Amino acid sequence: MYPIHLKRIPVLKMSKVEIVRKYALYSVYILLLTCIQVSFPDKLSLNGQIADLMFVFVVLVSYYYGLIDGIVIGLIVGILRDCFAAPAIIGFNGNVVSSVGIGAFALFGVSVFSASVFTVRIKRKFAFALLTLVCATLLYKFFGHGIIFIWTKIFSGSLYRLSFKELIIDSVLTQLLLNVIAFLPIYVLLRFAGPYKRLKNPKLQAQEGRGTDNSWLTI
Amino acid sequence: MRRFFANKWFIIALVAVFLVAIIILGAIPNSPLDKVLTPIRAVSNPIQSGIKGFGGKVDDYWAAITDGVAIRKENVELKEDIARLEHEVQKNEEAIIRYEELKDAFHIKDTFSQYDIFGASVLSREADEWFSVIRIGAGKEDGLELAGNNSYAVVDTKSNLIGRVIETNNSDSKVLPILHEGFTVNGKVNEVNGAVIIVSGDASLKKKNLCLVTGIDENVILEPGDEIVTSGDGGLFPQGIPIGVIESVDYSDPLNVKATLRPYAEIDDLKDVFIMVPYEKEDVSDTSETDTGTEDEQG
Repeated sequence: MYPIHLKRIPVLKMSKVEIVRKYALYSVYILLLTCIQVSFPDKLSLNGQIADLMFVFVVLVSYYYGLIDGIVIGLIVGILRDCFAAPAIIGFNGNVVSSVGIGAFALFGVSVFSASVFTVRIKRKFAFALLTLVCATLLYKFFGHGIIFIWTKIFSGSLYRLSFKELIIDSVLTQLLLNVIAFLPIYVLLRFAGPYKRLKNPKLQAQEGRGTDNSWLTI
Repeated sequence: MRRFFANKWFIIALVAVFLVAIIILGAIPNSPLDKVLTPIRAVSNPIQSGIKGFGGKVDDYWAAITDGVAIRKENVELKEDIARLEHEVQKNEEAIIRYEELKDAFHIKDTFSQYDIFGASVLSREADEWFSVIRIGAGKEDGLELAGNNSYAVVDTKSNLIGRVIETNNSDSKVLPILHEGFTVNGKVNEVNGAVIIVSGDASLKKKNLCLVTGIDENVILEPGDEIVTSGDGGLFPQGIPIGVIESVDYSDPLNVKATLRPYAEIDDLKDVFIMVPYEKEDVSDTSETDTGTEDEQG
């Protein structure tokens, strides 16, 4: 007998071809989206903001394919983000340094958030995926600005100055608009050529007992 | 204990704490943590370069199709320009010989004669408004090595200031762009005894491609259109690198006069850059005292 949290869950087996396809497509999409974003930011930008393909990909993977896939993909994409375009922060000696780990931490947090909200007792649907993306973007931007404000204040003594208009319109809303636009092609990519067929992770389906009374809210 | 590790929230918290520890360790000067990413870079860099190259070719083919008529017209004009310039080159060759003779006779120094110039292409740019470090294709293998608080100036193909190198890896380096809020450089108005000022990046001006100008003496009259170049004070940047032009000046507070500056460098359209590495101190000990210092007062 297993305690409830260790209870064996029946898992739908994936064939070898499906497993290879899953890893191959994940690898291709991770590299493709990451490289496009850091190689051609001028083609994805509006008002100083850039459509965050990595972010949107992590949100959608976490939302549709669950926590485990989300965390793994979030960490990999985050590490690549740190490799290609790390943020520069004020180090402990007051000099600007290129940081390690902030991208991984940020996208890890985003994946946990996206896999955890609007998924409990809710069927994973397009509208909720979009809602998850909107909430995740808002949280990312507000937390990001807050953390940079505090970090800058502590380590350099200067202020990270942004007016309300610059914060809301130029930063948050512009980023939101760009991410929503980027959502559509990435959704189509995952829906019709994703690592799992029809956006359904068999493990997750089995764990959550889809088709039972567990999920009641649909759009 | 087993119960803890079966709880997903405990594992998530553990991973989060681990990542925060990495971030904090990474902020310590000369942290070896960056070496952890070296194997990942070895794999990801060629792939990224390949995708960038492919995208560039697609862009070029598209431009060739759409800009065909304009390119033909420009080609005719360029051929005329080449003929004219070739004539000028012939005339200037004699002037160069005379200049070299006079330079030796009068000990004239070239503007950047104490610097070795490394060319590099831009590998990747910002991922969003915070992940904004530029990666360039020259590193330790090419002879670029940062020691202590040292840093190197980075300029574009027209010698305009782009930023400074903050990290070197084996095959690439990271550049802090001029618009980043952590960037500061001492500048001066480009005229004899021009006023000395401080140019720095600013979070709110960054989106408009502008920099903040502070440290303006209350008696100095700064006007829109004034050209600003590096002053050479502080030692990090050589004197005379063009930075940009003054866009606007705010004299509302006489004790805290501020201005905005539009950099010459077009960061959004950057493809190739040059890194200015000072020669070793032994070689230049008898020359300018401000040109090769390493104190990092300009961040």
